[in-house]
Amino acid sequence: MISSDVIRGHLDSIILRLIYEKDRYGYEISKEISLRTNNQFQIKEASLYAVFQRLEKKGIIESYFGDISYGGKRRYYKITTLGKAYFKEKIAEWEETKKIINIFMEGLE
Amino acid sequence: MKKLDVYVDELFKNIPQSQQKENIIKDIKQNLGEKVLDLMEQGKSEEDAINKAIVEFGDIEDIRVELESNQLEKRKHARIQLSFSICGSILILALFIFTNFYYTPQIIWFVYPTFAVLWWPLIMLYRWFSLR
Repeated sequence: MISSDVIRGHLDSIILRLIYEKDRYGYEISKEISLRTNNQFQIKEASLYAVFQRLEKKGIIESYFGDISYGGKRRYYKITTLGKAYFKEKIAEWEETKKIINIFMEGLE
Repeated sequence: MKKLDVYVDELFKNIPQSQQKENIIKDIKQNLGEKVLDLMEQGKSEEDAINKAIVEFGDIEDIRVELESNQLEKRKHARIQLSFSICGSILILALFIFTNFYYTPQIIWFVYPTFAVLWWPLIMLYRWFSLR
């Protein structure tokens, strides 16, 4: 299981991508991350909720209560218009970063 | 499941009270509860599932930083409100005192509105203290 600092720096983007696709609740997000990465990366609940706090404060995501499940109502997260623009920005930034790092990571025998 | 709730409460014990903290604790308990049920459906015993959820929970340091920065902003806001209320009430009282002594120096009445106006900075002072 990979849990490097590199991924930690991109948790916002990982979570935003999942919420971008559709509104989701906390456990659904952590499960989806493990599923898509074949369990190579698992997000810790503590990190997940720190990201929710941060993004909600910046107005990038919003939350609302949905259906009832174990022990209460699920809180769903929804990306805002600002969030969509922010995420597009992040994708462009990642493309640039990838290019720069690849200059140094590739081509060595 | 009770063990899980106790664990979460214990984790957040040292973080100052706030509405946000209450909400986050509720959400996390709900989330972990679902995780445990899910793990049990996959064939784990309740005890194993709860332990797995606890082990995988991680470090709450990041959440603490987020919650405390909220708190800090509120405190700053309260301080600005307090200083504003003090300046405001000094101005209003100065007007009362001036009017009193200039137009009706024989009757001292400015004390009455003073008591009323003082409620303003007092409330702001209380708010500021309660956030410390």
